[in-house]
Amino acid sequence: MFLTRDEEAMLAGEKGEGIRTAMELLVALGDIYEAKRLVPIVSAHLSGVSYKTIGEGGISFLQSLAKDAKVRVPTTLNPAGMDREKWKEMGISPRFADRQHLIIECYGKLGVDTDCSCTPYLGNNVPKKGQTLAWAESSALSFANSAIGARTNREGGPGALAAAIIGRTPEYGLHLDGNRTPGIVVEVEVEEVDYSLLGHAVGSSVGNRIPYFRGIRPTADQLKTLAAAMAAAGSVAMFHVEGVTPEADPLSIEGLERLHLGRAEVEAARNKLDRGRDPELIALGCPHLSVDEIRGLAAKLEGRKRKGDAEVWFCTSRHTAAKCPRELGVLSKFGKVVCDTCMIVTPIEERFRSTATNSGKACCYLPNLCSQKVVYRSTEGLLEMIS
Amino acid sequence: MLPEGRVPIYRRIAGDDILILKGRGISKGRGEGEVVLSESPVSFLGGVEPSTGNIAGREDGRSVKGKVFAFPQGKGSTVGSYVLLEMRRRGTLPAAIINSVAEPIVATGSVMARVPMVDRIDLGLLREGDLVVVDGDSGTVELPGVRENHVVSCVLMDGEKMLLLKRSSEVGTFRGYWASVSGFVEEDETPAETACKELQEEIGLDLMFEKEGRTVTVRDGCTVWHVHPYLFRATRPRVVIDWEHTEYSWVRPQDLKDFQTVPGLAGIVRDLL
Repeated sequence: MFLTRDEEAMLAGEKGEGIRTAMELLVALGDIYEAKRLVPIVSAHLSGVSYKTIGEGGISFLQSLAKDAKVRVPTTLNPAGMDREKWKEMGISPRFADRQHLIIECYGKLGVDTDCSCTPYLGNNVPKKGQTLAWAESSALSFANSAIGARTNREGGPGALAAAIIGRTPEYGLHLDGNRTPGIVVEVEVEEVDYSLLGHAVGSSVGNRIPYFRGIRPTADQLKTLAAAMAAAGSVAMFHVEGVTPEADPLSIEGLERLHLGRAEVEAARNKLDRGRDPELIALGCPHLSVDEIRGLAAKLEGRKRKGDAEVWFCTSRHTAAKCPRELGVLSKFGKVVCDTCMIVTPIEERFRSTATNSGKACCYLPNLCSQKVVYRSTEGLLEMIS
Repeated sequence: MLPEGRVPIYRRIAGDDILILKGRGISKGRGEGEVVLSESPVSFLGGVEPSTGNIAGREDGRSVKGKVFAFPQGKGSTVGSYVLLEMRRRGTLPAAIINSVAEPIVATGSVMARVPMVDRIDLGLLREGDLVVVDGDSGTVELPGVRENHVVSCVLMDGEKMLLLKRSSEVGTFRGYWASVSGFVEEDETPAETACKELQEEIGLDLMFEKEGRTVTVRDGCTVWHVHPYLFRATRPRVVIDWEHTEYSWVRPQDLKDFQTVPGLAGIVRDLL
């Protein structure tokens, strides 16, 4: 990979150890993917925040970086392992809370915005079409590529952090025009679309091809659900929806393979994901609930009575929560409003054995990362369980 | 211990006692130790125990701590990068990592945990327990005590049959084995020159080769052989053998399996034909 004199100096350690490490990471990644050069980024979004995933090793690394490095572009954080205020109510141990606070503090020292969310594009980090980004968090980066038309590869936590510190990322993959065109057409032939199940079915069958959807008209919130489900089921980091997403070009699909997605495929996805019953935890908000989703839930729940004894969580970002206090008042009669975290990155396995969710993404991760039996329901199905 | 800045393998002369494999540097620094070899891809998350460095599922309970860990490539969760950091904290890191093909999980983990790492290395040239030096700056793996020889293998065909010669007890290597016309590439020769010279010396034929095959590299004990294959054709040639062979035979390539041949011969013939 070609490096400018400035970049060579950073690699040689002339700008400090933290910058040297970040530059070494970018060069290693650039070489692996055969990038020709580094390109400037507008923002970064980092995964690797929960103490549950990065552990003590992660803390040592962040502490050493934070000694002399700072991020050069606006940078946001993924969910942490707990609600920073209500961790005791969540059953988090003081030791875990202490280590989690330390991780967030390290990111703060690095200059990262510490509103912990997987939906930065609904908060303080809103990309524009055509901008170059380095985002981790598979659902957010797919949303940024697809719904917004910004450009990011599927970064891992360390790669995104290195890019944030240098302010550049290796130019390969989805940064290049030719790699953003569709590879398969998905004809959706279902009346009422469940975007989690659709996303799961498509994500598991398209491999590394970019899907081009026809026959659906998702809202922004539905695009968020679709992006998350596809990224978790497969490696989809970008998709197009005809007439909806900014880079969907009907001329680009000539001669492509067509995948017909009907009721049978959706039901097969449901049977694959819905494996348990009698959930001990019912969790909504993967990805984090938007303002519109919170309003929708509150409108449906208002005036109804709480039923069942399962614990209920509504997961969202602190940024979003601040915008709808009245609606959250309604939701809090039915369960906990949990900020900064979600059911996947907090250690729920210490308290629950089965979880119900409406998220295709959560269905993929709950069994392995959290040892949960998973109950899949639509949003309406979950509301019926609790009211 | 070893001199810095050795020349790459392809420019080195035969008979040296340090083999240098040229790969690509992924993570900087030099590390040396015994090779621990895994033939399948490795997931650090769940695949290596950070408190001991032990590899999961290995019956001999071997640890990678302080060793040179060689495996084809990483796999599994991206959280695997953080496992290497945890190993650093606990002092169980490998001295270096060698991969066939680097992928982002192990590459970023190695850079963060400061483990020297090199990829694009043919793992077939390494053996469990080899003492090696990995240089992440130059992208090389040095194998002291392993010599390297360039030889030619001249396959002579007459119609459907090839010439097979039995090596005498007076030659230096593979005595009593069946082989093609072969010989060491001397320092001042190209392999093509050696091929024609050996054909003349060993069986008395003055011919030009029809085809040059892909060089095959094989490890045999402490020697790595770079075999340069050449295909010759002749009709009813008069073969006169010298002291290097005791007898010869014309055989069909598919019957090679019935002979005790030098390593790799069947593959070379298949590739040439």
